Amino acid sequence: MANTSGNAYGLTTLCPIINGHSPTGSLTTSLLATKDSESHDKKIRRLLQSLPINEDSLFARTDNTYFARLFILNDVFFQQGNDFKRDQLKSKYLCFNSNFHGELEPYLTRMWNNNESLVREIWQHCVAFDRVNRAKDFVEYIKSCQVTTTLFFNGSNDKPVKEQLKALYVKQMFSEFVLTQQGKSATETKQNFKYFLQRVQLNNIESPSWKPGQSQIKVN
Amino acid sequence: MTNIKNNRPLDLYDIQGNICKGYGRFGFPKARYCFFNFKHTRSANTFLTHLIDRITTSETWPISDDKDHQNIKPKSTLNIGFTYSGLKALKLPERSLKSFPVDFTMGMRARSSLLGDTGISSPEHWDDIWQDNKEGTGQVHAWLAINGRDLDAIELEFNILEDLIKQHPDGVRLLPGLKGPNNTNLNYQDASAVFENGNPTAKEHFGFTDGISNPYFEGCGNSKNRIPGRGKLMRDGSWQPLATGEFILGHIDEAQEYPPAPEPKLLSRNGTFMVYRKLHENVDTFNNYIDELTKDFSGSRDLLMAKMSGRWPDNGAPLTLAATDDEKACLDARMIALELRVKDGDRSALAERKILRSKWSDFTFADDKSGGKCPIGAHIRRTNTRGSLETENEAFDRPGALVDRRRLMRRGLPYGGIDEAMSDKSEQGIIFMSIGASIERQFEFVQQQWVNYSNDFKLGNDKDPLIGSHSGQITDKHIIQADTDSDLKDNKPPFFCTQMPRFVETRGGDYFFIPSITALRMIAEGMIDPS
Amino acid sequence: MSNISGKAYAMNVITPIPWWKALWQLAAFKFVTTFPSNLKGLINLSLIHYARWSIIGRDSFPHLAQSQPKEDLHYSYMMFESNFNGSWDQYIDSFSFAIPKGLDLFWRYNVGYPKSIPLHGFYNYIRFNQVECDHFYNAYPCAASNDVKSAGTLFDNLKSFTESSLELPDDEFLEAYNSLLRDNQQYLGSLDVGPAFSPPPIAPSHSQEDA
Repeated sequence: MANTSGNAYGLTTLCPIINGHSPTGSLTTSLLATKDSESHDKKIRRLLQSLPINEDSLFARTDNTYFARLFILNDVFFQQGNDFKRDQLKSKYLCFNSNFHGELEPYLTRMWNNNESLVREIWQHCVAFDRVNRAKDFVEYIKSCQVTTTLFFNGSNDKPVKEQLKALYVKQMFSEFVLTQQGKSATETKQNFKYFLQRVQLNNIESPSWKPGQSQIKVN
Repeated sequence: MTNIKNNRPLDLYDIQGNICKGYGRFGFPKARYCFFNFKHTRSANTFLTHLIDRITTSETWPISDDKDHQNIKPKSTLNIGFTYSGLKALKLPERSLKSFPVDFTMGMRARSSLLGDTGISSPEHWDDIWQDNKEGTGQVHAWLAINGRDLDAIELEFNILEDLIKQHPDGVRLLPGLKGPNNTNLNYQDASAVFENGNPTAKEHFGFTDGISNPYFEGCGNSKNRIPGRGKLMRDGSWQPLATGEFILGHIDEAQEYPPAPEPKLLSRNGTFMVYRKLHENVDTFNNYIDELTKDFSGSRDLLMAKMSGRWPDNGAPLTLAATDDEKACLDARMIALELRVKDGDRSALAERKILRSKWSDFTFADDKSGGKCPIGAHIRRTNTRGSLETENEAFDRPGALVDRRRLMRRGLPYGGIDEAMSDKSEQGIIFMSIGASIERQFEFVQQQWVNYSNDFKLGNDKDPLIGSHSGQITDKHIIQADTDSDLKDNKPPFFCTQMPRFVETRGGDYFFIPSITALRMIAEGMIDPS
Repeated sequence: MSNISGKAYAMNVITPIPWWKALWQLAAFKFVTTFPSNLKGLINLSLIHYARWSIIGRDSFPHLAQSQPKEDLHYSYMMFESNFNGSWDQYIDSFSFAIPKGLDLFWRYNVGYPKSIPLHGFYNYIRFNQVECDHFYNAYPCAASNDVKSAGTLFDNLKSFTESSLELPDDEFLEAYNSLLRDNQQYLGSLDVGPAFSPPPIAPSHSQEDA
């Protein structure tokens, strides 16, 4: 299935946003009307653009996220000129796309469990999200917005994120370690290598390691 | 792939000479660069009008009738370029100004963080002439370059220039603020080939032989013998000239289009962009570093230098030709033997020497994927990858697909080392100039992605050992890879050059537009009209 | 900037494709996945972490409630998402220099696609149809795709070395350690934050001459 490449999963979703001037006057719409009558898509965008990033992102708290993005699709683009037909979307869409390790349902469940209030705050502006109350509902909701991937190019690997982060940490440390050992005796090198192993703890995937979304190189 | 039958020759009389000619190679080992500010547009325009007839073009110099059949060359050459603020001061129409690319309009100073001009290389440490907040002197608007056969020729042309400026005191100001030898403040920057035994060499102050293998483009007028190693590498291993438009605006480039160029067409056609950088060389720091590291290195000092540069310092032979001290000794012996045979009139030796010398440029890294001969991070391998980024056969359209549009046409000469003893504190280095149709795509890309970063070489954040923006940390390093390709593996581990300090510091510079003669005349006469 | 996180850039491109040509595009993708040697160029460029193409049928835009008007479109749409290393210009340049035919294969049936050569038609097409991110997350801003892959290989090799060599006599250990360095010398690049994608904003000039 093209949604996956080995253990890597590629999720593409288009979550329809409630139209700000919906003529149906749904309960959700009236509850969210503000004094300045800001439309739903503008609210979402403002929220998205102010979300904490990197190690503080909601996706840093959603284990096994390689890359994730949120953006609003206002409309499709008219290619200009007489040769092309003009389309216009009747709704705007919140696009939530993620590349992660593992299966979809556990991933979305984790996303809900670790970020419930933030997820609600973002998605409350989307059509029919009022029926989402639990993780299971969130999973079903996202699946109903999912678009199947046609071609998935994996230019990296499909290891769990923690393994990737640990490996990066070890690479950082080892590539520096080897520089300090040049010209040292066999005894010294072996002893120092043992100290190095104690420091980096190859078998402990949790720590020490890079943190998800870590934006600076820290010298440990 | 171009499909025109016969390439029309370039109008070399319209193209400024420094674009097609590296004057050093043509017997002009001296240069003087000066910088101007335009105070009053009309007066500046008149000055430029008087200057035009003195500007050297790319014309092929005629061959003399005497038995030597040498080119009849002028005693000196003169070329000119403008910054964006210079073009504004000359009151180019707003629409033309807006059509220049962003890299040029911002200028080098504003883009210093992209180039690694940080710390000691950051603009606040540049020569006064490049500072923003100076009083009474003004911004750099134009660059003039005099290249001369000797210092007398330079002085002669410079005096003419000074006289011309005196005739336009309201229009043009020669800017001071260039740091010269012995802490002087000059209104010119002198440069010169390094002389040995009274003869100019291609050396620079670290002791490397420089300026080998400039790009060869269609119509440049150079001998076709110079194409191998300098053009673009084809799938069958042959070399072809690069498209003219990679270096000259108004001509088709490698992407089968006219490179983006300022409007109107007459302003940009046959012109180009130039990067000018004053690069100070910390000779003591460099020599001390090499001396210290050689103690741990299992090879000669020269080999260590070669492993950083990619070429042997004494004669510039690439490591692909001789990768060890023994191989270099054999190569040297071979060269000496050939020279003796040539002196004896042996014509076959002449041909043999020519073929051997061509290998200084005509080579690839195809047989050296591991970097065991020429380290992957060595200076010349970074700045001209020669097809080595195609790590799997036939992955790309052409082996050099990722480098053909990143080539740097280098001009310039060393400066300093003549009037004062050299140390880190004295004034010496290289005046580096790079010519190309796109500053961002060519110079800036190479500087940012291949000099101060190594992702394309799969070496993470490592930097160019010679010119990278190091700061002496342990991770400021260069890996000299062990040879894992050849059959003669010696089981040595890779060697690490660590804690590299900043050997080269930026001391100033900017981006310039080098107009054609046509455009120069139209600028001088205020005739640019983009409507 | 929200399209960037450390060494990675997030690109979203959405382009129209006639519904009947979408079938051909699907066939082209199937061809590529069936004969993965077609991806050699993409793999060799090694600038991409993960990239995906999705085709959204013109009748397949998610419709979740009666209150939501149903889309009525002439075209189907292809959505391209990439997480790659380098700036926008560097990425597009590298792809169009190295694998122009490959790019054509991926976009050829899309409305208005101008082919990847000459370059600026392709530039403009991608720019025109690009949608900016509002939030972009990267699990390892200080690592390019090459760094992630080389780290994985180095880790495995280090682990094997540790299991096999730690108890060797000192001299033999050193020899094994030197072999480890030789065999992994291409994975020993340092890690740090990536180069800047764009220069900082220009401060107002104090020069009187700045007209």
